[in-house]
Amino acid sequence: MAAPSPLLETRGLTMRFGGLVAVRGIDLALGSGEVLAVIGPNGAGKSTLFNLVSGLYRPSAGTVHLAGEDITGLPAHRIAARGIARTFQTSRLFGDLTVIDNVIIGMHARTRTGVLDALFRPRRARAELAAAAERAEALLGLVSPDLLARRHTLAGTLPQADRRRLELARALASGPRLIMLDEPSSGMDDRDTDALVEDIAMTMAERPGLSYIIIEHDMRLVAALPGQVVVIDYGEKIAEGPFAEIRRLPRVQEAYLGHKATHA
Amino acid sequence: MAAAAPARAATLADRAIVAAGEAGGALILGLFLLAEDWRLITAVLVLCGAGFALLELRPAIEERIVAAFRRAPATALVLGAAIVLAYPFGMQGNSYALHLLVIALLYAVLALALNFQLGSANIPNFATGASYGIGAYASALLALEFGVSFWLTLPVAAAVATVFGFLLGFPSMRTRDTYLALVTIAFGIVVHQLLNNFDWTGGPNGLVGIPAPSILGHSFARPIVILGQRVPAQANFYYLALALVALAILAARRLHNSRVGLAWNALRGDELAARCQGIDVVWYKMLAFAVDAFLAAFAGSVYAAYVSYISPDNFTFLVSVTIMTMVIVGGMDNSFGVIVGAFLLTLLPEKLRIFSDYRLLFVGVVVILFLVLRPQGLFPQRPRSYGAS
Repeated sequence: MAAPSPLLETRGLTMRFGGLVAVRGIDLALGSGEVLAVIGPNGAGKSTLFNLVSGLYRPSAGTVHLAGEDITGLPAHRIAARGIARTFQTSRLFGDLTVIDNVIIGMHARTRTGVLDALFRPRRARAELAAAAERAEALLGLVSPDLLARRHTLAGTLPQADRRRLELARALASGPRLIMLDEPSSGMDDRDTDALVEDIAMTMAERPGLSYIIIEHDMRLVAALPGQVVVIDYGEKIAEGPFAEIRRLPRVQEAYLGHKATHA
Repeated sequence: MAAAAPARAATLADRAIVAAGEAGGALILGLFLLAEDWRLITAVLVLCGAGFALLELRPAIEERIVAAFRRAPATALVLGAAIVLAYPFGMQGNSYALHLLVIALLYAVLALALNFQLGSANIPNFATGASYGIGAYASALLALEFGVSFWLTLPVAAAVATVFGFLLGFPSMRTRDTYLALVTIAFGIVVHQLLNNFDWTGGPNGLVGIPAPSILGHSFARPIVILGQRVPAQANFYYLALALVALAILAARRLHNSRVGLAWNALRGDELAARCQGIDVVWYKMLAFAVDAFLAAFAGSVYAAYVSYISPDNFTFLVSVTIMTMVIVGGMDNSFGVIVGAFLLTLLPEKLRIFSDYRLLFVGVVVILFLVLRPQGLFPQRPRSYGAS
């Protein structure tokens, strides 16, 4: 019996910027509904890995498959349409638009209105947008009732924790199969991080088939996540396994704390 | 805030605010147009400035007015239509005032066209003047060389300019921001130079004797007489340009309140994030260039038929800069604001002629003062409202 192809699979994924190798030969495999944490020191190549999978960079070598389909080197908007949503390390919201507009834009790949429809079939275009607004409100209510109440304020005026939540809601809006979160806790204090962990756990429970890849520095958050952990250092995968095992590996401690600290 | 207010029926107060707003606007415009005395002109400008200062200091007033217009759209539309249709008859047969109105309306179309790019998608296109020229020349050449009816040249000229818009969009895709602006400036200069140097475009002398359109046997070169009231021939083009503005507003509204408008706004906000939402950035940029060129060409066709003489100097880089100023001063991504900007920047230099050599200086001073009063433009972008919510 052949194993079904994993939801996301990268083989030998490599990215060179001139002479610098940011990511070297990374193999990942992730099934439907699974959670993968990616950890590693600053500059290890974690965000580059995300940019490769989401199509912002075209890999120098290696392949990316989504549910068996080769998506290597496709433009970012096509990859998004195939079901990979992501957030950014420094949140990239559409700050001069309202909260609800941000979520509706997240549905771009699932809505159809083109320029001719908008001009000559306004009824249909309006109906689609109204339906999208309704779905957006439901989604905001799910992620955070507080955010729902503020749906008509500009996204740029939100506090940091709400910006993260909105990014999560916008990513969910595309109805993705895989969500990639790039350091969701960066720039947040402990209390906000705890709230964020709850939000993530809640969306995971709400959408069991959805897979996650999460880049994280906050080890408390990583420990709270189910699933495997991948450790990346100098662009290479140096370890993989459950967090409890990973944290004890000397190579990992070395990468995080430095060579001297572990041998002192 | 207004966007969150529940949709409820218009009250009498709403209707009164709408009526007062529209009548007041029409009155101020009329006063400004017909004023000869520099003291009156200055007084009107000071009054407008005070009005904008008040709106800036008391945002609640602006919210109230916007809410009234949103709740009483039928009143606003019917009354507004009546006012603009009757407007030429209130100009006391002053053909110069009518001429200014026609030019202002054509610039309003151009500013609305550019607003799709600059306002919605933050694409600094300095070639709207070139698209305007391509439309004017295409229409004029068809009429002069092949005797094609004006009404037929309109869509053809628009199609020609749209093709050029796509052509311009193509190299622009590899550049961004300042570099993109440079590409469009270059395009505008190339178009101007070609019009200047080709034989078949009449070279620097341009094209002369472009026929005026006619409809149902009524030539646009003749005055309009309705119920014994006679208005100068410019009124024909006033109504034509007005129809064009209405068309542009309709297109702007429909696109703005759709997935397309949201996609443009997304790429204005953050191009990278937009791509990750599944937005084909290249396509939407090309589309913005095409829509801009399409509408600008319409304005060009009407302009050529109106003045009956065009030359390359009507479509210089400076024209593009003027259109851009209209959008920025009026308010990015706000159709009404953009139209106000177009009127302001068309009428100001004309009405300040009294200051002869210093007039452009005064235009600059007025524009700067208005921008100080309203830093986001006279009527800034407003959040979308979703009626169902």
